[in-house]
Amino acid sequence: MTRKVVIVPCSGIGKSYGTVAREGAYVVTEDLRPDTTQLIPLSLLVLGDEQARADVASAQAITLDGCKLACATKMVVESGGTVAHDLAVLDVYRRHRDLKPAGIAKLNEGGQKLAQALAEEVVTLVDALSPNPSPNPQGAARGRGGPEGGQDA
Amino acid sequence: MPDLPKKKVGIVACSGEEMAEGTVTRLAALRVLEQLRPNETVTICLPLFLAGGEGDRAFARFYPTIALDGCDKRCAARGTEMYSGKPAAGIVVTDVIQTNHLGTARRLSDAGKQAVDVVADQVAQQVDELLGVQWDRKQGQPSKEAQPAKESEAKIATCSCGSGIPIQKVQVDGQEVTLIALPLIFAQFRDAGKLPGDGTTAELMQTVKVYNPIPDGQEAAYTQAVMREYAAFYQEKN
Repeated sequence: MTRKVVIVPCSGIGKSYGTVAREGAYVVTEDLRPDTTQLIPLSLLVLGDEQARADVASAQAITLDGCKLACATKMVVESGGTVAHDLAVLDVYRRHRDLKPAGIAKLNEGGQKLAQALAEEVVTLVDALSPNPSPNPQGAARGRGGPEGGQDA
Repeated sequence: MPDLPKKKVGIVACSGEEMAEGTVTRLAALRVLEQLRPNETVTICLPLFLAGGEGDRAFARFYPTIALDGCDKRCAARGTEMYSGKPAAGIVVTDVIQTNHLGTARRLSDAGKQAVDVVADQVAQQVDELLGVQWDRKQGQPSKEAQPAKESEAKIATCSCGSGIPIQKVQVDGQEVTLIALPLIFAQFRDAGKLPGDGTTAELMQTVKVYNPIPDGQEAAYTQAVMREYAAFYQEKN
């Protein structure tokens, strides 16, 4: 059985970039590559949850960090995992300066599109790590700005 | 004069990405931080207790903290206690909300959004209890007799990441110990014109002990160390 690539987003609660990381992870694991990726919650790694640590330790990880403190990357390493790629949302934003994120509970349109752009970068990396990439459920390049993006609570 | 942010409560949400209840904690925390009690609350990202510095790990020892968890694994409560300090209070969403129809982690249902309101109200109530504030429910604000200090209204939640709590390492009986908030306390005392010496010792140590437990039998050694450091601080800044 092929191991899924684990996606570990930052769980940042104080910055829009954290929400972009979270949303981007959902786009990858639910929309674009549900069969070849698995989302791991950072809080379980903080607690040292055995299953989460085992999942991380036995697979390639792609971390999505919302700020320079890089909690997701550090926690994967701390949990014995291998970080195949670490993406900083800020770097993705630098490549898409027209997509300025705002809002934390509810991302603005720029933030939603930035999450989509992040997800598309992640998908390229996932496919390179997966020996037999699964069929593309929704297409990795459907254009910026999917229908999702942040909660409206 | 520098203020010690004594009158704030820390909110730590699990933010669990894989379940709707985790999203409820995240949004409820944000509701409190941004709308319900913006001037009385601060937050920090849970992973910073491991990934951050000592200042970040001092968070729950500096602020009375409410841990907000999505499930009975209680990652926020247990993680906060393991790496920072015992939370003053905790709420578990599954204890409060008796429905399995909250939606998904990515998209809350209407019931999930209602759960956010319910949990946020509970957190706000606990914030008031921790601050000793009587809330006037008719007016929707603190009652006049217990009005908290006025501050500028926050609109967007910001985390304490990176900024951390000011700390200082001091030698106590040949052992290096970390004292939380010591730089702020020293600055406050200096700005109040309190000279290093016997007249300041009791008050200074009383303030230090608000944030730092002093082990039994070591009060004298701690006092000596703190006063030595304060004398050095005072001399350097004057």
